[in-house]
Amino acid sequence: MMQASKQKKRDLILVGLLFILLGGAFLMFRLLAFRDDAALANIYYGTSSDPIVTIDFTKQKITRHHDQSLPDGISESYPIIDEEQRTITLLGDYTINGVRQIVVISYDYGRRSVQIIEEKSPNNICSREGESTGFPLICLPNRIRVEFVTDQGDFTV
Amino acid sequence: MANFLAIAIVLNIIESAIPVIPVPGAKLGFANVVTLIVLYVYSFKDASLLTIARVILVSLLTGKLLGPVFYMSMSGAILSILAMGFFKKTNFFGVLGVSVLGSVFHCIGQIIGGYFVIGSTAIVLYLPIMLFLSIPAGVVTGIITQRFLKIWQTWNRDLI
Repeated sequence: MMQASKQKKRDLILVGLLFILLGGAFLMFRLLAFRDDAALANIYYGTSSDPIVTIDFTKQKITRHHDQSLPDGISESYPIIDEEQRTITLLGDYTINGVRQIVVISYDYGRRSVQIIEEKSPNNICSREGESTGFPLICLPNRIRVEFVTDQGDFTV
Repeated sequence: MANFLAIAIVLNIIESAIPVIPVPGAKLGFANVVTLIVLYVYSFKDASLLTIARVILVSLLTGKLLGPVFYMSMSGAILSILAMGFFKKTNFFGVLGVSVLGSVFHCIGQIIGGYFVIGSTAIVLYLPIMLFLSIPAGVVTGIITQRFLKIWQTWNRDLI
């Protein structure tokens, strides 16, 4: 009985401490991270660290580095870049009835932002994330991600 | 044990079908209640086997076996059960503490799995919000487990 009440007390202390610690870390992160404007946004597919497309907000330019590597049997080539509509379409990993689904990403030079506007997945986490100006957008079931670069110097072509 | 596994699978599937929480993707982890119960009533070994079997069977039933989400669930589940087993053994914390720690480690495990799935450390930026949300989730599952264990003990007393 003694042991149980001691444990109970420790449990409450643990929950309180974790709440303060992790809550504080979360608030700090929210307040301090991504305050700088993004210079670039890179779009990646799979585990590759080679961007497929780079959106340069400063120069207002899209660079297509290479095609998305896809298995044989898919006739179209991705990404499809529509500079008028300001969208980039890639093929995600998520399948419906065996058909891989597209992921449509829109970008805005003026606001230096990227948004995933169309994508199929169970929870739609990345499209519900909305417009982002710094926080990475990760479509996990589709294995497509957008990462922002703030410092031009970090990026070598 | 088979009953527990079945309950855990059903809880897991029902939970992912209804968005209880406004934050996308976040779940309470009701299936972890079953893991915790088995950990306390049976053993660490049984709880580990149950959890791993649950993750595999749920992904099989929902057609996500070996998909990106599967690896995240699996690494989260493994780290969580290891943490809960360890902290239960130390006897320092009660059910509630063990549950919260399991929940926190589940997030860390998921992020580690996610890193391998997408090959980018960018996913670590999701950790602050996930860890923060894991505390209330761990508390809720911990309280449910506590209540269950209390009832379980009275049952057993009555039987003997």
